[in-house]
Amino acid sequence: MLDLLANGLVNIAQWKYLLPLFAGTFIGVIGGALPGVTITMTVIVVLPFTYGLDPLAGLAAMTGVYVGGSTGGLIAACLLGIPGSPASIATTFDGFPMARNGEPGRAIWLGVWASVWGGLLGALFLVFLTGPLAAIALEFGPWEYFSLFVLAMAMVAGLTEASLLKGLLSTAIGLLITVVGHDPIGSVPRFTFGSEFVGGGFPFLPVLIGVFAFAQIMTDLEKLNGPRGQPVPSLVGVKLERFSHLGVNLEIFKRPFLLAWSTIVGLIIGILPAIGGSASSVMAYDQARKFSKTPERFGKGHPEGIIASEASNNANVSGSLMTIMAFGIPGDAVTAVMLGAMTIHGIQSGPLFISQNPDIAYGIYAAYILAHPCMLLICIALMPLMLRVTSVRMAVLAPVVLVLCVVGAYALNNTMQSVYVLLLFGVIGYVLVKLGFPLAPLILGLILGDQIEINLVRAIMTDPSPWLFLTRPISGGLLVAAALSVALAIWQHLRHQKRVAEEEPDF
Amino acid sequence: MARTFVTMAGVAALAGVLAALSGPAMAQYPDRPIKMIVPWAAGGDTDNIFRPFAVEFQKHLGQPVVIANVGGASGTVGAREAQKSAPDGYTVYAMHDYIHLTFYAGISDVKYSDFEPVCLVAATPSVLTASAKTPWKTWQELADDAKKRPGEITVGATLGSTSHIFPAMIEKAAGIKFKFVSYDGLAPRMNALLGGHINLTDSNLTQKGKVEAAVLRFIAIASEKRDPEAPDVPTLKELGMNIVYEVARGVMVPKGTPAPVRAKLEEACAKAVKEPSFAQAMKLQGTRVAYLSAIDYAQFLARIDGESKTIMTDLGLIKK
Repeated sequence: MLDLLANGLVNIAQWKYLLPLFAGTFIGVIGGALPGVTITMTVIVVLPFTYGLDPLAGLAAMTGVYVGGSTGGLIAACLLGIPGSPASIATTFDGFPMARNGEPGRAIWLGVWASVWGGLLGALFLVFLTGPLAAIALEFGPWEYFSLFVLAMAMVAGLTEASLLKGLLSTAIGLLITVVGHDPIGSVPRFTFGSEFVGGGFPFLPVLIGVFAFAQIMTDLEKLNGPRGQPVPSLVGVKLERFSHLGVNLEIFKRPFLLAWSTIVGLIIGILPAIGGSASSVMAYDQARKFSKTPERFGKGHPEGIIASEASNNANVSGSLMTIMAFGIPGDAVTAVMLGAMTIHGIQSGPLFISQNPDIAYGIYAAYILAHPCMLLICIALMPLMLRVTSVRMAVLAPVVLVLCVVGAYALNNTMQSVYVLLLFGVIGYVLVKLGFPLAPLILGLILGDQIEINLVRAIMTDPSPWLFLTRPISGGLLVAAALSVALAIWQHLRHQKRVAEEEPDF
Repeated sequence: MARTFVTMAGVAALAGVLAALSGPAMAQYPDRPIKMIVPWAAGGDTDNIFRPFAVEFQKHLGQPVVIANVGGASGTVGAREAQKSAPDGYTVYAMHDYIHLTFYAGISDVKYSDFEPVCLVAATPSVLTASAKTPWKTWQELADDAKKRPGEITVGATLGSTSHIFPAMIEKAAGIKFKFVSYDGLAPRMNALLGGHINLTDSNLTQKGKVEAAVLRFIAIASEKRDPEAPDVPTLKELGMNIVYEVARGVMVPKGTPAPVRAKLEEACAKAVKEPSFAQAMKLQGTRVAYLSAIDYAQFLARIDGESKTIMTDLGLIKK
């Protein structure tokens, strides 16, 4: 196995593979960094260019896009507070505050290095444990998926600083949004009031951009003309701070358990089809906070938050690659495009793929591993330029970002419908921010809504007994974990409130 | 001097933008990428058939053909999106026989006649497929078990679509009763079948790799004769059931697409299906290349629509 991997690495290190890999990673980082451009869209743009290449070169390019895109999202997340891709939602929680505190470089490099180490750690699992780990994914039936999604939502609802209730409400709003439109099983129109506009439902990406980008930029803009007419502490005009790569790496390796656990969370979510990086980064972030000795520092620019989110979303990629390598079943849209590329070249995917095509299989492993140093080089080259964003005046930056968001939303389906959805949810997001609602639970509810419903219906169609959700061991365990997660969040809130009350007696 | 240069560059850039903007009015169709809506999840059989097709198709169109997987609600979400797209030839719809069935099942009001046919591309015989976690090695064992436990054997299916109708025809022919569970698209069904969360499903020879790896079993194929790609799999006819069931896949465009545009698409399609690499890709997918021109495809669609109505009435699934 090691010799196969060594062969793969030597093979990929040839220019004809290294060049597409590098180009793919570069495009991935850029695509990931642009809010409104997802990794899926980027990989679809890259696909036609790979037709002429030999299969492995094309797959290497796509692997590069996947790895680069999973990292690129953190740039916008840290610098603008807008997730560049859905997988970097949790990076905004601490990356943006850290950047605002005058350390954008530290925030970004913590993220990039955490991505590198999380991704490479994930590669270890990918190369040595693909078979057994992918087998776990098959054990997940509709009951397990349903319970897992309940756990994910319980976790994210508990993340909010202010109130658990508002977190849960926000999740519920997200779920409700997905109910609008035609239902995913019988295509029955719901809450459409006979309107064409509502009938199409609210596609996820315009809502995400609307809620995050619009609401974020609007709150930034209103602070510009604050009471004293002074720009509040923001990124505007911040001088680049000094930081060292060694220091950043020390910060990460001082917390080996955090790195390892975030990687494992990302990996497991990646193996399970149809969930994706957004859920994994949020879940890893939640875990980091629950295990942390200083949970109260999260949300204010705590390095642990950035490490957890970014390590897990890159490990997520290795998880997604596992299902396609082990069974030829794509776990998400990006691996589906990769599978399509194999089909085009007449490569039969399936459980025998690794043994029948060891050159390509180990080539993909090698490309995945080598994509990380490529990504690092690209980030080192780009970052001085990217960090300049922090010195651009908000009056210039805001319109540019807004235009990019609108164009991104429009380009999804080339319809104005998405732009209107974006506008509508920009307003809704802004109102929710003003009322003190956290937005991440809403987004997770939105991402998982359809899947929760589909799996619930499947479970009931297979067997009407509701007890199966509790008596099937994995499903039952996940539901217990969900209950514990909420209980722990309540306990942490109470403890935090008590501590605040003790610390500030002179109020 | 530097300023003049900047101004000149600005003028040049502006001229470029204007040329780009005024371009489409004069240019020949197609002058930008074409979106192909595949109404199923990526990695399924429809996807696996149209991806190699798109490669050849774009070669003869001279513009990239980008596949958009718009899944959900038994393929009707993609159908609805295709129906509502601008009839300008920049959105094409990768369709299969489900469109007739979902209409008669009352799942969707989108009809095949909401589109203009371009060409028929391929036909794939359905194969009744069992999870390796089930005990049945042959059809007889399955049928005996099904008679003992009516309504207990689970079949993953896209409700109201071909993967629902095909097992339903077997139910009727063999006098047995299955329990249907909603799994849209072949890729999610395969996941569930491998995990043993469903017992049976409709698939096809695209899944041959998994049979060779012994993680699932082909029980019977719905073709006239045994397929050379899978000579061990008996036909339903051999087993005494008069069922031949193929899923035919073709390309359609929204109604109102101009005739010259359709002619261009049809011409490219006719050339694409003749490419040897496409034939090779289809062979691997257990699919036969079945080209029909727009006129013939229109007749074919009308015939299948009538047959679908009859089948749905027979099975008691008809809603309109």
